[in-house]
Formats: sequence, structure tokens, C-alpha cells
Amino acid sequence: MKKTVALLLVVMLVTSMLAGCQSQASDKIKIAVVGPLTGDFAEYGTGFKNAVELQVEEWNRNGGVLGREIELVVFDDKNNGEEAATIAEKIVADKDIKAVIGHFASGVCMAASPTYQEAGIVNISPSASHPDFTKEGDFVFRNNTVINVEAEFAVDLAVNTLDKKKVGILSVKTDWGTGTAEITKGLVAQAEGMVVDHQEVVDGTIDFGPNITRLNEAGADVIIVVAMYNTLAPFATQYKTVNPDIELVGFSNAYSQQLIELAKENAENIHFPTIFFHGSTDETVASFVSAYESKYGSSPSSLTAQAYDSAGIVLKAIEVAGKADRKVMKEELYKMTYPGVTGETKFDQAGDAVKIFTAVKIENGRFVEVQ
Amino acid sequence: MILQQLINGLALGMVYALIAVGYSLVFGILRLVNFSHGSVYAFGAHIAMVFVGMQFGIIPALILSIIFTGVLGIAIDKIALAPLRAKKSKAIAALITTIGVSYIIQNLLMIVFGSQTKFFPKLFDYGNVHIGGVSISTTQLFIFGVSLALLLLLTFIIRKTKIGLAMRAVEQNPKAANLMGIDVDFVITFTFFLGGASAAIAGTLISGYYQVVYPTMGFLAGLKAFSAAVLGGIGILHGSIVGGLIVGVSESYAAAFLGGGYRDAVAFVILIIVLLVKPTGLFGKKGVVKV
Amino acid sequence: MEKISLQFDRIKEKMNFIKPNKKRDFLLLATLILALPYIINSQYLLRIVIMIGVYSILALSLGLVTGYAGQVSLGHAAFYAIGAYFSAVLSVNFGISFFITAPIAAIAAAICGLLLGLPTLRLSGTYLAITTLGFCEVVRMVLLNWEKVTNGPLGINRIPRPSLLGFDLTLANNGMYYLMVFFLVFTTVVMLAIVRSKIGRAMMAIREDELAATMMGIKTTTYKVIAFVVSAFFSGLAGAFYAHMIRFIDPNTFTFDTSIMILSIVILGGMGTIKGMFLGAAILVSFPEVLRFLQEYRFVVYGMVLVLMMRFRPQGILGGQKKTAYKLPKGVIVDINSNNSSIEVREAMNTVEEVI
Repeated sequence: MKKTVALLLVVMLVTSMLAGCQSQASDKIKIAVVGPLTGDFAEYGTGFKNAVELQVEEWNRNGGVLGREIELVVFDDKNNGEEAATIAEKIVADKDIKAVIGHFASGVCMAASPTYQEAGIVNISPSASHPDFTKEGDFVFRNNTVINVEAEFAVDLAVNTLDKKKVGILSVKTDWGTGTAEITKGLVAQAEGMVVDHQEVVDGTIDFGPNITRLNEAGADVIIVVAMYNTLAPFATQYKTVNPDIELVGFSNAYSQQLIELAKENAENIHFPTIFFHGSTDETVASFVSAYESKYGSSPSSLTAQAYDSAGIVLKAIEVAGKADRKVMKEELYKMTYPGVTGETKFDQAGDAVKIFTAVKIENGRFVEVQ
Repeated sequence: MILQQLINGLALGMVYALIAVGYSLVFGILRLVNFSHGSVYAFGAHIAMVFVGMQFGIIPALILSIIFTGVLGIAIDKIALAPLRAKKSKAIAALITTIGVSYIIQNLLMIVFGSQTKFFPKLFDYGNVHIGGVSISTTQLFIFGVSLALLLLLTFIIRKTKIGLAMRAVEQNPKAANLMGIDVDFVITFTFFLGGASAAIAGTLISGYYQVVYPTMGFLAGLKAFSAAVLGGIGILHGSIVGGLIVGVSESYAAAFLGGGYRDAVAFVILIIVLLVKPTGLFGKKGVVKV
Repeated sequence: MEKISLQFDRIKEKMNFIKPNKKRDFLLLATLILALPYIINSQYLLRIVIMIGVYSILALSLGLVTGYAGQVSLGHAAFYAIGAYFSAVLSVNFGISFFITAPIAAIAAAICGLLLGLPTLRLSGTYLAITTLGFCEVVRMVLLNWEKVTNGPLGINRIPRPSLLGFDLTLANNGMYYLMVFFLVFTTVVMLAIVRSKIGRAMMAIREDELAATMMGIKTTTYKVIAFVVSAFFSGLAGAFYAHMIRFIDPNTFTFDTSIMILSIVILGGMGTIKGMFLGAAILVSFPEVLRFLQEYRFVVYGMVLVLMMRFRPQGILGGQKKTAYKLPKGVIVDINSNNSSIEVREAMNTVEEVI
């Protein structure tokens, strides 16, 4: 009995000491990046981490922000809401951390965002797509495309650019996939196309035989695929063995070099709306792509570029605000327009980014702009 | 349409059957659900991918993968499971151990190869065969053929060879088998090698079919293959094949007619129904409880 | 925090002769638990402590099925999910208070436990394990696809906080902590009451030897179903609490990994123990947080801990360590001298493991 009491006391002492350690003041400005570094979605979290790291290094090379060095704090949430919520508490307790970039899946973002909102710290997710995500409050932002604008662009590519009126839809059953597919359906009808079939698959599916048979028998000429590259690539490969003439339209989330590596010749002529384009002649984009490739040995994807810009936006806001204050910089975020690698970013009142899309397609194993 | 979906389902079912055989082999001998089998399967696919990437050609890559993965199977047994048997631990201890092993393998794969989906070249692709409005790809036929050959080979090993006889003896009564002069440890080692090797074959073939490899590929496929094995009667090899085909076909029909969201659940629904009617699976023998 | 519940069994046992210093220790402990949020003074640590509490409830409930009745369930996250969704749907759509929805959610989970348990519990071992695993996947698919009610992949957002007499319980005002302590104490007391009763002894008999238990006239299926239903009830309660604490749930919150986590806690802590559940939960929940510095290696280490644990201490940290003499009921006198093989009797008397 005495032992247990003693043990409990020791545990408490240690934990309170640990808690004490966290609030040590320093003259660095800290930025947190959170994403899955382990688990099924580790590639995306690692992309976030790399991109933000790159941005922070560039700022530090130019003397930091407000003359102070920037320190990056990296956390792994395993794409798990429970862990994300705990980490959020850890982040908000550290008064030196001025902003949080991250959480990958919408569900995970939304488990953590109430904590950020309550504590009053800016949270920018480069990937959250849930329509309600930014409604949590004024400290919650998304630097991702808003789905109805993007869907409109994708439908335009399918119905007008490719000029196919019989549209099939394949979507993943996630908040993003289901929501986008619903919007897309409505837009196809407006664009005088016809949705011949809509197939849903669970995230992580690699066998599309049943879905392809359905879509093919429904007579689809173009398929709008609402999924990440790891769904789109095998789907394209499997579809083209059944019907080599099928046209495919993807979304910017699937914009990744991996897509071409996986689907090879079957990726030819897949069209995308995207806000980030590797081959852009824009100087900032070109230098970002080459810096990223030389440092990490892989090409940045669309989501990575969005994370890179998110970090840039945060640091810029601190600079413009003139002081590293969680609240003041939030006000700046609503006012500023940031020219980054994903085009000009401006947040609307809800905290959603307004983006301009470019159409790209895959030609001879490369992404090229659609004229 | 219905026929085409049947073909889709059979191809998918063979995929599950290939993995399910590995569960069945180990369960047959040790009465142990080897939860690490899914990650061993992913390991086999990654090894094959590495050797294919080094321009070894597909057959040498497959053989190397079989050897490496088989050795991994033996290592799992020797390092993690054999000490438990020596201590006569409860069955649940071994079950948890295999879960722990699968965490280790899966996360190491992620650290070494990254979690992104990687490319695997297509195996044996000679376009599609059309028979009466139904299209079958040659890769599907190839997988079908190899799976059947593998099953026949394993059945041959178990039914006709000396080691197979020893395996059956250990399955029935390890103690008595030992008294008859059978090296039980060797039989178990050999079984784990076979399990690993079948996982490597499954991993290579399936990766070649879908042309993708990723560290978590074994998780859901493993669970479904496991339920296929139980469905057919775990420990019975042809039961695994039949179970795999049933799961594959029902999944294909579910995806086509109920919607993709229900696809992953249908395997388990069928499993639960079958177990309620026949608790030992379709071909399972009723065990006699000795007191 | 968890020690308060541990204290409960001490109280019950020693109600008759609490020695002065024991009483002092208990008061000290109770004070410590009540003052814990003020001592650690960090929301981050407090949230970890609360999650330890939630997982302790889950482990206690699975412990009844696996630890005491000996039935392995690989799908306990299903009941956790049912509880969470039931409570969330009721409170979001109909504005009912958490203190009404939580018991309803727990009862709903218990009914699901009954519906699953009645047909499946005649299965044994592997077959039961895979059935529960399958059930968990089926529940997840229903949550994902039944969009009208569960909101499908979008999940349920803005679940109201528990509110007591117009006062919102939050993490910041420590309300959630005390609510968790209340639930945990409640769960522990009920579990103790069960395992110390005839029901608990019947369950242990089933765990040790089902055939022998049947021969002794124990209706094995009945007791297994009881264990399952009670277990589902408390898992549902934990789910309801979780939903109202995190305030956002989606089908990905409750996966196979969660089921494995709960089972690992039960086994790590020690099957067939109560206090082991607290210890197991404390270790495994804080594990990823403590090992954060290992970054991507932390789940490799997690796997190694499971493997090494099973190798060197398969009975769990607190399992099977104490053996106490079996206390004969009052009025039964065994004359050891009249028995020829006195050694055997003594051995038999000393091999009944202390189960708490």
C-alpha cells in the first residue's frame, strides 16, 4: 500500500517536472508540423515534414523571421485522431510554438482542431478536405483546394476538353471522395454530360475488376476518378486492359510523380486540374522543385507543395505582423495574399484558400500543361 | 455481366487462396493462428521487387524471394515462437507474439522501403482472351494455373512424401510423433519454411498481377485470406482454395451489386454465417475432445 | 487515479478491521487522485491520464471475457464504436444530455453483445476470435455505409460536451477527468462484484477447463454470454465518454488496431487480474508518447515489447504471481490428519491462484 502511494507520488513528481520542462522560454520561434510519419499514410506526413523543413531552412538562411531563428518541431500522429488530440495538447502547451501545420486526414484534423481553436493557435492543414473543417473557428485554416471549384474544373476537362459526354465516376469512400463525387455528379448534369455509373471503393482497394466491369458495361467514355495516386494508378492499368480507349480525369490530390511510375504507359493522357505544376516556368516553382529533389531525392507532390506554401504563409504572417504573437498573426492571415508555389493564396472568411487551377495531362511519361 | 463478375471474383479468390494456404499450413501443425503471415507476404513481395529491380529476371527473383521469405518464416518460429512452445505457454501468448511480429515486420518494411506504393512489373502478360463476351486476362489465367500447381505440389508433399507423413503425424499428436522418432522441431521448422515460401509466391504473383507493392498490403488481404482459410476449414489445404474462391466471388458480386463500401464486410458476413451453421468450416473435421 | 479503484477491493476485504495507518494511506491516495489534475497541471498529461482511464475501462471489460471467462475477442473495438456512435447520434440529432445518452449507448452496446454472443459463443478458440474480428469489420462497414444515420465517412462532428446542471465539463476545467474517474470507479466496482460472485467463479472454471466446468453443471454458454454482455455494456460506456471528449468520431477511429490494443493491455497487465488492467493501460497508452523520440521506430519497439513480454512473462506483469491458500467456507473443517496423503492436500490448497 505504502509502496503504491510512494510510486504514485514519484510518478507525479516526474510528470510535473516534465510538464515544467516544456514551458522553458527560448528566443527561437517555433513552428510545429504534424502528420503521419508511421502507419499507412506515412508518405504524406513525411512529405509535409520535408516541405516545411525546406521552407524553414530557406528562411533561416535569410536571417530567420524578425531576426530570430526558426525552429521546426515535428510530431507523428500516425493518422490517428486519438493521438492527434493528445499531440495538440502538447503543442498548445508550448508557448513558443506559434503555428501548427498539419494533420493529414480530415478526420484526424478535426479531432485536433478544437484544441487549437480553444487555445488560440493558428492551424493550417495542407490536406483537410472535410467541408466543416474550417467551421471549427477562426484559428483553423486550410491550404487545400475547395472541392466544388476543383470538381467544376475536372468536369470541364472531361466533358469539354476531352469531349466525352458519357461520364463514369469512381470515388474512394472517404469524406473527401464521397463529398467530391456528389458535387461532381451535379456538375456533370449541368455541363450537359451524363453520369452513366458511379462506383465507390474503400480506400486501399487495389482490385477494381468488379467496378471496371460495371463502368464498362454502362458505356462510360471517360471516368472521373476521385482518389489518390495509389488508387488511380492500378485503376488505370486495369481499365486499359479491358478498354484501351478509356479517358481518365483525376484530381490534384493524385498529382504525383508516383502516378507515372506506377501506371507507366497506362497513365498517358490522364488529365488533372492542379494548383501546383512541376514543369511550370515560374521561378519560385522551379527553384522549389530542384531544391526538393536534390535534398530528398523525390519529386514534390501537390500536397507537399501545399505544405511548403503553408509554412511560407505562416512565416510571412509573422513577419508582416511584426511580432510573433498567435493572435496577431491570425489577423494577418486573413488580410494577406501569398505568392507561393501553388499560385497566389488568399484565405476567405471561413479560412479556406482560394486557388487558381491549371490543367495538366500526362504525355510521354511527363506532366504537361493542357493548352 | 454476371459471368464476367464471376471471372473477376475467381481471379480475386485465387489471390486470397494463395495467402490462405500459408495460414492453413501453420495452423494445421501448430493449431496457431499466425497473424504475422500477412506481413510476411508483404515482405516476400518487397524482396521480389528488390531483385526484379536489380535486373535478376522474374524467375530468379521469385526463387530468391522464396528462400529469403522462407528463412524469415523459420526465424519467426525459432526466435519468437519456439521458446513459447518450450515453456508450454498458452495459445494466446503465441497469438499475441505473432501480432507483435507483424508490427515489427510491417514497420521495418516502411522504414526501409518507405510507405508509398511502388511499381512491380507485370507478370506473363499476353493480352486478353475473349470467350463468349467474357474477357479473361492471361495474367489471371496464369495466377489460376500457378495457384493450382502450388496446391497440388503442397498436397503432394503432405500426402506422398516422408516429411509430409511426419507433418501429418505431428498434426495428430506431437508427443506420440516424437516417440516414433520424428524430429518434431524439424517438422515445425519445415512447415514455417513452407508457409514463408507460399507467402513469397503469393506476394510475387499478386504484386505482378496488380503491379503495386506497399508495406501494408498484407493487412486486409491477410485478414480476408484468414477468414477464407477458416471458412474452408482451417488446416485443410483444399478448404483454403474453396474458401478463397467463395470469398473472392462474393466480394466481386458485393462490389458490383451492393456497392464498394460493403465489399470488405461481405467476406466476414459469409464467414460468420458459415461458422454458425458449421462451426469447423466447410471441410473442417470435428475434433474429438479427449479428457 | 486508478489506485482508488484498487482501494475499493481493499476496503471490501478489510472493511471489518481497517487499521489506522491503512485508513491514512487510503485517505492520502484518494486525495492524491482527486488532486491529480492540480498536481500535474498540464492538459497534455491530463489527456493522457484520461485516455489511460478510458482504456482501463475497455481493458476491464475485455478482461472479464478474456481474462476471466477465457474467451478471446479480437473485435472489442466494435462495442466501443457502437457506444460512441449511439451516444453521439442521439445527442447531436436530438439534443439529449450526455448523462442520458451514455447509459442508452451502453445498453445498446450490451444488446449488440447479446445478439452476437448468443449464436457465436458456442464456437471455441480460433473460430470465436475470427468471428469477433469479422463482427468488428462488419460494424465498421455499417458505420461507413449507413450514411443517413452515421454520416458515413464524414463522421459526426461537434458532439456536445457533457453538461451537468448547465455547467459544461471540459478538459480545461478538469470536468472530464472527474467524470472519467467516476466511470472508472463504477466499472471497477461492478467488475469486482462480478468476479467475486458465483458468476465470476463459474467464469474462471470455464477458463480453466470448459469440459470440467460443464461436468460440474455450469451452464457454460450462459456465463459466457453474461460476460460478453457486461463487457459490451462497459465498452459502450467508454465509447460514449470518448465521443463526447474528442467531439469528433468517424469510422476510422475504431479499427482492428484498437481491438489489438485493448487485448494487448489485458494480456500485458495480466489476464484474470483487475489491477493489471490499470497497469497495462498506463503502460501501453503512454507508450507511444514516451517513445516519441524514437520517431518511426516506435511501432517496431511496440512489436518487440509484445514479443518479449510473451516470451518472458506470458502471464502478464501482475498475472499469476500470488498464490494464496484457498479459504474454506465457514463451518467446513478438514481434518488433514485423517487424510493419508497430506502433502497432496496441502499442495492442492496452495495452488488456487489469487485472482484479484
